[in-house]
Amino acid sequence: MPPELTHDERLTAFEARIARGEKIEPGDWMPDDYRRQLIRMISQHAHSEIVGMLPEGAWIEHAPSLRRKLILIAKVQDEAGHGQYLYHAAESLGAERQDLIDALLAGKAKYSNIFNYPTLNWADVGMIGWLVDGAAIKNQTMLTGASYGPYSRAMVRICAEETFHYKQGKEMITLYAQGTPHQRRMAQDALDRWWWPSLMMFGPPDADSTNSTTLMRWGIKLKSNDALRQEFIDEIVPELHAAGLCIPDPDLRYDENSGHWLTGPIDWDEFWRVIKGNGPMNRERLRARRTAHDDGLWVREAMAAYASRSSVIGKRSTVSGQR
Amino acid sequence: MNDDLRAALAARLLATADDELMLAHRNAEWTGHAPILEEDIALANIAQDELGHASIWYGLVEELTGQDPDRLVFFRDAGEYRSAQMVEQPRGDWAFTMLRQYLFDAYEMALLARLAGSAYQPVADAAARMRNEELYHYRHSSAWLRRLGLGTAESNRRMQAALDVLWPLAGQLFSPQPGDALLNVEGYWPDLNELRQAWSGVVIPALEEAGLGETASAAGPDDRRVHSAHLDTLLADMQMVARADEEAVW
Amino acid sequence: MNRLLKTPITATLTKHILITDYRTPTTDHQNMDTQWPRWEVFKQDRPGKPFEAVGTVHAPDAEMALLNARDVFVRRPECHTLWVAPEAAVLRLTAQELAGRQDWPDEPATEGSEEMAYHVFLRQSHRRSMVAVTLVGQVLAASSADAMHQAVAQYGASDTVVWWVVPDSALIRSNDDDIASMFEPALEKTYRDQTTYRGRIFEGRRRGGTVKEVPGA
Repeated sequence: MPPELTHDERLTAFEARIARGEKIEPGDWMPDDYRRQLIRMISQHAHSEIVGMLPEGAWIEHAPSLRRKLILIAKVQDEAGHGQYLYHAAESLGAERQDLIDALLAGKAKYSNIFNYPTLNWADVGMIGWLVDGAAIKNQTMLTGASYGPYSRAMVRICAEETFHYKQGKEMITLYAQGTPHQRRMAQDALDRWWWPSLMMFGPPDADSTNSTTLMRWGIKLKSNDALRQEFIDEIVPELHAAGLCIPDPDLRYDENSGHWLTGPIDWDEFWRVIKGNGPMNRERLRARRTAHDDGLWVREAMAAYASRSSVIGKRSTVSGQR
Repeated sequence: MNDDLRAALAARLLATADDELMLAHRNAEWTGHAPILEEDIALANIAQDELGHASIWYGLVEELTGQDPDRLVFFRDAGEYRSAQMVEQPRGDWAFTMLRQYLFDAYEMALLARLAGSAYQPVADAAARMRNEELYHYRHSSAWLRRLGLGTAESNRRMQAALDVLWPLAGQLFSPQPGDALLNVEGYWPDLNELRQAWSGVVIPALEEAGLGETASAAGPDDRRVHSAHLDTLLADMQMVARADEEAVW
Repeated sequence: MNRLLKTPITATLTKHILITDYRTPTTDHQNMDTQWPRWEVFKQDRPGKPFEAVGTVHAPDAEMALLNARDVFVRRPECHTLWVAPEAAVLRLTAQELAGRQDWPDEPATEGSEEMAYHVFLRQSHRRSMVAVTLVGQVLAASSADAMHQAVAQYGASDTVVWWVVPDSALIRSNDDDIASMFEPALEKTYRDQTTYRGRIFEGRRRGGTVKEVPGA
């Protein structure tokens, strides 16, 4: 872009590109606030994937069949992979993964509230796949259209993989909801605890969402929190009913006029309490991440030390004598 | 196949499956807790592969004995398991996990190379299927062995400490079971002494090249029926959901 | 000596020799945390298909970068070849930067440097998310800047929005022998393929609002 342009002229051109549906790529001019908002949002998203490994990861060792164990390891592995893609998207904006992780571990960065709830029974794993990943897919599908190229590309890849997460969870809960009395209780108990937090995943009501206006103006977010939440409710309620589960909301009703399922009031006090660090598992989640990071320090150092002295850079080793 | 041969083969397959299961279980414990994100992903890959191998071996046991793989995994007590103590050990630090992985990968590479020529065709086919994945595991764990062995004084110290624990336990991988001679005569399973020598021929130079030295000569366990206390706690964790409802299909 | 050791690990302790040779007496790595350098990853799905930039991995060295690239980007099929290159070796340019670059036509090739091969990657759509930065050809050039200059001249069609040039010498590649061990195992992991599960995603919507009774309520 010619250097003589004023900031306002650049901004106008930038917004015109977004209006035309063009992707902004690394290296292109962008307003500082666009870069800042993106780094904040993408890194929060990445942190959510990383912290999100913990509640389900805790059940890998308890998975009750070989197949479920395989599926769960693969799913939690995908979450690490998604975190990896997302940190990459943030890095393309000039952020360093080290700094982003430091901010998370210092308690200065946010991640999705949902992972501050505990996983109390095995069916929670299935319910997270169905509800939590289902809600995440709604949000991520929207983000595939985001104006920043690397973010939208990461989202396309992530959505394709999340479909597996959703379907394995739905398969599991559907089976349990029709299974033994013990399994039916597990499935219902899981729904009772995950229903409301999953609705909160879409963020505060539009009226209280401070960042939304800017994010929508620049094509980072394409739908409002409340609009996405309603889409999710309309889609998931009939699915849960079909599985024979009871949604823990006495006010839930279908509104003929609007064609929407309407829920009772969401407890936003709880949402703000958890986001401020006072959820049931906030401290435990960060403790686990810090321990992993601190215990890994000597490993990262040793590998860097080897590389700095080694001639292996640029060459590749082979597995001689083993084939 | 006569009953003695069938029993001997099933016992050998069960021990092999049990090893893979335990190692997969331990490796999966790193998911979410590894030193860097890329390694969360790498270890989860290895754990899946090993669990896949365990499923294949349990499947061959089922063909011989009719025992369901999930029943074998979730409803046997410690005394009925035939896993080696090396793979039952807690994951330890990253050095312990990587060195155990290396020692086991070298064993599995040597084993699968021989089993690919087994006269029992289902074993030969299974081994051929697994060898490709195992080659990758070996490449990964050898890379780590060398780098941690030679990285810093601390990484070398940790690797040496891991070797001191693991070395005496590794011998149990090659310990004889009743019926081995029968399997060997039929060409169903390789001779374990020869396997051990081939393994030593690979791992000892690699350990030396990684700057790891002499280790204590303490005698380790031999018989695969002898387990560590860790197996009980591992099984309690692994089996708790399945055993809470025996009728359930999971 | 342990009975396992047919040839014992001897008391000559190669350990100390190797460590002495290998270590540089510095404190460089003390208290310096690191996520390791970044490596660009290029993936070819099938023979004959173009290489596409799929993302980066963090890795301490070239061999680990290739292994990490495989673990991160080939959790699912399919892949035929992977390349990695240190991120710093990749020179990038966007159409917008090009437009603002007034001195571009006069930028000289580096004098006296030997020519070497560079791979040229382009992204050719402003809009669609999944048009990746894709390999389109090679140029011989004396420097990255020279390679970029040629790339823009040769592949400067109006729809190009991103150019990358990568020196061939910076690439670390998987080879045909690696396919079976690195890439084919993903084919066996059918449980992570969503199509192996029944049904479609969000079937509730397709039923509309017809389910009005709350079973068991």
